[in-house]
Amino acid sequence: MEQGVWRRHVSDQLKQRDRVQRQAFEELIHQYTRLLEKSELQAVLSERYQPDKYDLQRGHEGGCVDGPRSDVLQQEVSQMRIKHQEELTELHKKRGELAQSVIELNNQIQQKDKEIQSNEAKMLEYHQQISGLEGDCRDLRGLLQDLERANQTLKDEYDALQITFSALEEKLRKTSEDNQELVSRWMAEKSQEANKLNAENERDTRRRQAKLQKELADAAKEPLPIDPDDDIEVLAEEAGKGGGETSPSRMLSRTPSKKITQPPPGGLLDSISNIFGRRAPPPFSSSPEGSETPSGVCAEVRVPTTAIHMFDAHDGEVNAVSFSPGSRLLATGGMDRKVKLWEVVSGHCEPKGSLTGSNAGITSIEFDSAGSFLLAASNDFASRLWTVEDSRLRHTLTGHSGKVLSARFLLDNTRIVSGSYDRTLKLWDLRSKVCMKTVFAGSSCNDIVCTEQCVMSGHFDKKVRFWDIRAESMVQELQLQGRVTSLDLNHDRTELLSCSRDDLLNIIDLRTCSVRHTLSAQGFKCGADWTRVTFSPDGCYVAGGSADGALYIWNVLTGKVERTLDRSHNSAINSVSWSPSGAYVVSVEKGSKAILWSTCEGGGANVSR
Amino acid sequence: MADDKDVLRDVWFGRIPTCFLLNQDEVTEREAEPYYLLLPRVSYLTLVTDKVKKHFHKVIRTEDAEEMWFEYEGTPLKWHYPIGVLFDLHASNTVLPWSITVHFKNFPDRDLLHCPSHSVIEAHFMSSIKEADALKHKSQVVNDMQKKDHKQLWMGLQNDKFDQFWAMNRKLMEYPTEDGGFRFIPFRIYQTMSDRPFIQKQYRPVSPEGNVHTLGDLMKAMYPVALSNEGEPKRFQVVIHGIEPLLETPLQWLSEHLSHPDNFLHICVIPVPSD
Repeated sequence: MEQGVWRRHVSDQLKQRDRVQRQAFEELIHQYTRLLEKSELQAVLSERYQPDKYDLQRGHEGGCVDGPRSDVLQQEVSQMRIKHQEELTELHKKRGELAQSVIELNNQIQQKDKEIQSNEAKMLEYHQQISGLEGDCRDLRGLLQDLERANQTLKDEYDALQITFSALEEKLRKTSEDNQELVSRWMAEKSQEANKLNAENERDTRRRQAKLQKELADAAKEPLPIDPDDDIEVLAEEAGKGGGETSPSRMLSRTPSKKITQPPPGGLLDSISNIFGRRAPPPFSSSPEGSETPSGVCAEVRVPTTAIHMFDAHDGEVNAVSFSPGSRLLATGGMDRKVKLWEVVSGHCEPKGSLTGSNAGITSIEFDSAGSFLLAASNDFASRLWTVEDSRLRHTLTGHSGKVLSARFLLDNTRIVSGSYDRTLKLWDLRSKVCMKTVFAGSSCNDIVCTEQCVMSGHFDKKVRFWDIRAESMVQELQLQGRVTSLDLNHDRTELLSCSRDDLLNIIDLRTCSVRHTLSAQGFKCGADWTRVTFSPDGCYVAGGSADGALYIWNVLTGKVERTLDRSHNSAINSVSWSPSGAYVVSVEKGSKAILWSTCEGGGANVSR
Repeated sequence: MADDKDVLRDVWFGRIPTCFLLNQDEVTEREAEPYYLLLPRVSYLTLVTDKVKKHFHKVIRTEDAEEMWFEYEGTPLKWHYPIGVLFDLHASNTVLPWSITVHFKNFPDRDLLHCPSHSVIEAHFMSSIKEADALKHKSQVVNDMQKKDHKQLWMGLQNDKFDQFWAMNRKLMEYPTEDGGFRFIPFRIYQTMSDRPFIQKQYRPVSPEGNVHTLGDLMKAMYPVALSNEGEPKRFQVVIHGIEPLLETPLQWLSEHLSHPDNFLHICVIPVPSD
C-alpha cells in the first residue's frame, strides 16, 4: 500500500492546492474580468452615442439590453443633442463674426500704427526744423544786436560830424561874409581908383584935345604948300573913318559902368601918320607879329558872313583852336594827339607845322601873350609846352591824375595853371618846372581863364570858382544852371563869358560877380563838355558853335543872335576862336574839319572846301 | 488507475490567481487598473497574457509599447519556464494572488529571452519535448511522430485542450515493459539561490539492481542539500506543481504523471517559509 500512500498524498495535495489557489479566486477573477469588460463597453458605447444620431436606431435594431428604458434615454439624448447642435451653430456664427471683427480691428490697428509712425517721423522732422530755426533765430538776433550797435556808433559819429560840420559851416559863413565885405570894400576902392583914373584920363584927353585944337588952329593958320584936293580927301576919309570909328566907341562909352580903353586916339594917330605920308593899310590888316599891344587896342571886328576856307585839320575830332596873339598863326589840336600850326594867308590856312609829343588827344591850346610858346593840355594827364619857332617840345608838366582839360598861362607867362578831370587845379612854375600848388576844386574843371589877380575855373558841378593867385585859395563861387563847358574873358577883363550844358551862355560881370546877360538861341545846343565859345576881340560879340554844326554870333549889347552860319559844318562844333585882329573866325568841328570865316568883301572870295 | 487520470487532469488544469499590475513608471493616459487572471500552471507566460497586453495597451501610449515583460519583486520572469515553476520558485507560500508587474519598457536583455511571436514558444516547447524524449526513448518516439502530431501537441497546449494533447502525449509516456521505465528520467531541479539555472543529469528510474528510484533517491543523488538530515528541522521544500510529493514517490510514476506538458519533471527546491 505504499503505492497508494504516495499516490493518494499526491492526489490530496493537488486537490488542496487547487482549492487554495484556484477555487478561491476563480469566481472573483471571473467577475472582475466581466466588470472590466462591461465598463469598457460602456465607455465605448457612451463615446459612440454622442456623434452619431443613427446609433440609436442601430442600438434599437441591435437589440439593446434594456428596450423601453433606452427609448426615453435616447429621446433625452436626442433633445440634448438638438440643443447642443443649435448652441454649436450659434457659437460658430458668433465665432465667425468675432473673427471678422478681429481681422478688421487688426487692420485698423496696423493703420493706426502706420499713422503713428509717420506722425512720429514728422514730429522728429519738425523738432529738427525747430532746433534749426531756433539756431538761426539766435544767430539773427546776435547779428541784429551787432548791427544795432554798429548803427548806434555810426549815429553817434554822424552826430559828432554833424556838430563839427555845423560849426565849420558857421565858420565858413563868417569867413565868406568877411570875404564878401573885404571884396566889396576892395571893389569900392578899385572903382574909386578907376573913377579917379577916368577923371584923370578925361582931363588928359581934354588937355590933349585942347592942345591939338590949338595946334590945328595954329597949323590952319599957316599956309600949307600942298595939293589941297588929295590931302583933303584923304583927310576927310580918315576923319570920317576916324569919326566913324569913334562913334561906335562913343556909343559904347555911353553904356554905363563899362570900362573903355582908348580907341579914338589910336584911330586919330593912324590918320595923322597917314597925313604924314604913310599909306593907311586896309583896316583888316593885322598888326605885324611880335609887336602886340596889350589889351588897350581894340581890333576892327566884323561879324563873319561866309566860310572862306574849309580844310581838314586833323585825323579825327578837332577839339581846340586858338589864334596866336598876332593873328597870323592858327593852332588846332585834335584827338590825333597833334597840335597843328596853320598860317592864315590871304584867306587860306596853310599848314605850317605840327607839334607832336602828346600821348593822347589835345583838349585845349593857348599861345602865351608873346606868341612864342604854345601850351596844350592833353588827355594823357599832362600839359606840354612847345616853342612855336622850331616846334620843339620844351616842357611836359605831369602830375595830374586825370585828363587835363584846360591849361592857361598866367599873365606873367612864368606860371601855368591847369585844370583837370581829377578835380584839382595845379599851379606850375615854368622856371623850376614843378607844380607849386595843387588846389582841390571839388569838381572836374572844364575851362580856366586868368586875370592878373584871379583865376576863374568852370566846373562840372555847374559852378564857376574864383581863385586868388596870391592867396592861393578860392574867394568866390558862382552857381550856374548847367555844367560849365567854357570860359572866356573879354579884352578888358570886365566880363566873363561862360557856356554851359543847359545851352545858355552867361555873361558875368566880374565886379559884382553876377550874371548880366544870358544868351541863348533856338537851335543852339551845347554839344559837349568841352564846347568852347569866345568873345570877339572888342567884346561886342560872342561866337559859339552848336551841336548841329551851326555857328551862332550874338550881339552882346542886344543879347540877340546877330548871325547864324549854319550851312558849312556837318558835325558839332567843338571850339571857336576869333582872331585878335577881329577879321577872322575859325571854328573846328568833331568831324576833323576847320572852317575859316570872314566877311566876304569884294565878292567871290575863295571858298575852298 | 482512475486516480491517475484525475491526477493528470488536476495537473493539467492547475491555475494560479495572478494580479497583473502595470509598472508605475510606465506613462499612462489614465489610471491603469490591475488585471486579474488565472494562469495555467503548465503554460508559458507569453502564451496566455495576450489579454493582459490588450488591457494595458488601452492605457499606455501606443508609441511607448515595446515588448511586454514580467517581473516579480525585482526578478524578471523567464517566460520559457512554465508558469507553475516560476510561481513555485519565486512566490509559493506568499499571499495570493500572485502580483506580477508588467513592464513595457527597458526589456532586460541579459536576463530574459525575447519572445516576438508564439512560434518562438512553440519551437521552445517542441525542443523540450524532443529533448525529453531523447532522454526517455533515445528520440525514437518523437521521431516516429508526424509533423501533424507535433502540431497537435502544441495546439493542445496552446488551446488548453487536455484530450487533444494527451491523445499524442500518451505515446511519449509509453515504455517497453521490459525496461521498467524510461531510459533516463527527464528532470530539472531548480533552486532559488544558485548560480546554476537548474540541475539536469542523467538518472535512471530503476537502479541497475532493479530498485525503483524514488524522489528521495533523486534528490539525494542530485541535490542532497535539499534533504534534511534526521533530527534536523526541514529546511527545504521539494515542490512539484505546487505540492510536496512524498519522497517515497517513485520517480517513474512522477515522470509519467507529474511531468509538465513538455515532458520534463520540473522540481523546485525552496526554503521552508519561516512564518
